[in-house]
Amino acid sequence: MPRFLRPFDHPLALGLLGVLAFFGGWEGGSRAGLVNPHIIPAPSTVFASAWAMLADGELPGHLAASLWRAAAGFTAGAALGILLGVAMARLPRLHGVLNPLVQMFRAIPSLAFVPLAIFWFGIGEASKIFLIAWGVFFPVWVNSFIGVRDVNPLFARAAASLGAGGWRLLLHVVLPAALPFIVAGLRVSLSVALVILVAAELAGAMRGVGYLIQLSQLVFRVDQMFVGLLALGVMGFTADALFDLGVRRLMPWYGAERKTGR
Amino acid sequence: MTTPPEPLIVCDRVGHRYRSALGRETAALSGVSLTIGADEFVCLLGPSGCGKTTLLNLIAGFLAPSEGEIRVGGVVVGGPSPERGVVFQDYSLFPWLTARGNVAFGPRMAGRPARERRRLAEECLALVGLEGAGDRYPFELSGGMKQRVAIAHALATEPALLLMDEPFAALDAMTRGALQAQILAIRAREARTILFVTHNIAEAIALGTRILVMSPNPGRIAEDIPVDLPYPRRRTAPAFNALYERLTQAIGLSVAD
Repeated sequence: MPRFLRPFDHPLALGLLGVLAFFGGWEGGSRAGLVNPHIIPAPSTVFASAWAMLADGELPGHLAASLWRAAAGFTAGAALGILLGVAMARLPRLHGVLNPLVQMFRAIPSLAFVPLAIFWFGIGEASKIFLIAWGVFFPVWVNSFIGVRDVNPLFARAAASLGAGGWRLLLHVVLPAALPFIVAGLRVSLSVALVILVAAELAGAMRGVGYLIQLSQLVFRVDQMFVGLLALGVMGFTADALFDLGVRRLMPWYGAERKTGR
Repeated sequence: MTTPPEPLIVCDRVGHRYRSALGRETAALSGVSLTIGADEFVCLLGPSGCGKTTLLNLIAGFLAPSEGEIRVGGVVVGGPSPERGVVFQDYSLFPWLTARGNVAFGPRMAGRPARERRRLAEECLALVGLEGAGDRYPFELSGGMKQRVAIAHALATEPALLLMDEPFAALDAMTRGALQAQILAIRAREARTILFVTHNIAEAIALGTRILVMSPNPGRIAEDIPVDLPYPRRRTAPAFNALYERLTQAIGLSVAD
């Protein structure tokens, strides 16, 4: 690598380079007339629309609606997934009874429930929160179950010889030992929540980023459709980054445990 | 009439069988009877498959004997207990706790108040020479340091008996020598009974006041050899070498190996 490029040999600088090249190329292509701006508007147009929609409060309203649904559905689904995953890993009989059912429901793609959820709960908040919780539940359940089931038996032995048993073994040893798995499940479901959120909002809503995209299509505002996509991208990216930050803060031992990280 | 107090550990015709995945029954241990008194440092020595770790796991309470009975302090062993501290070969430290948190785990389970736990943890860390390492997580420690924390972790419940399952087998020779010296120093200060599993003849001679040689198929105690050489035991001393040769023969290896 030439000497003058060395300072740019940093993940952050390289990432920025990629982003700038992408949007620069897009903008350039648009201005040069290579793409039809009615089909793919230039980034400058999209950012201008986004700014206007931010200023008049329209975009924040849609974002708040979507974020609330995603957060509520994620919390409910994740809590149930962890609870049932841990319980089924610790109680073989409960596992025997519930496992065929859970596996059967897991095999049905959650998007297939969209029409049914709307029939049951209408197009209000309840159907969306139900759908997101449903989709989030399964990856969290699988990971919690495997994490608890496969806890290193040496930990349980060491803990037992130090006087831990029953609930205290679960709380102080089994759960922390399974935490890396549970966290991985939560992280996967973060993106699942976003997928189902949009699907549910496209199927019928009065507010939300998915609704914004659909409404913009009906009124031929392609730039606003792009604003919706941009909002979703930023939402997902931010959620993932915040999640990562939280994990690093709360579990300083986590990343270092597996040296093969990024 | 008073009966003399029972030795700390009593194994009475202990056997352990397990069934393999194909359903074949194997005797890991058969007819093991032995007594170990307080203050003894007993090394269980033998090739792999001779049942030495099985015997330790039975005394720890991780396994239940198929025949016979094990008593520790006059009480039949029915499961693991903080009375019997265990140091494993693989690092059994909890990765989510700091060194101090790991060492304080036993006292925490015993319901000791936070202040006392901290004091005990610091004491036990000092005992293994890791005064300054309390805030480090296991991934920040070297292999030798991890095993020292594991020893402190087992000592913190103040067990009458310390069970050590090839604790230094994964360490390099220099670290191993340093930890052997440390465990002897701890024993001299704390006067604890230690049962130490090893497949290393020199390690057994360097440490034990008594060496139990085990042999396989089925696992049993082949020889019971008291060692009354003074500490520290120099590997070049004639008595060390004589014992080394005797143990080599007892295990059934030729001296030339």
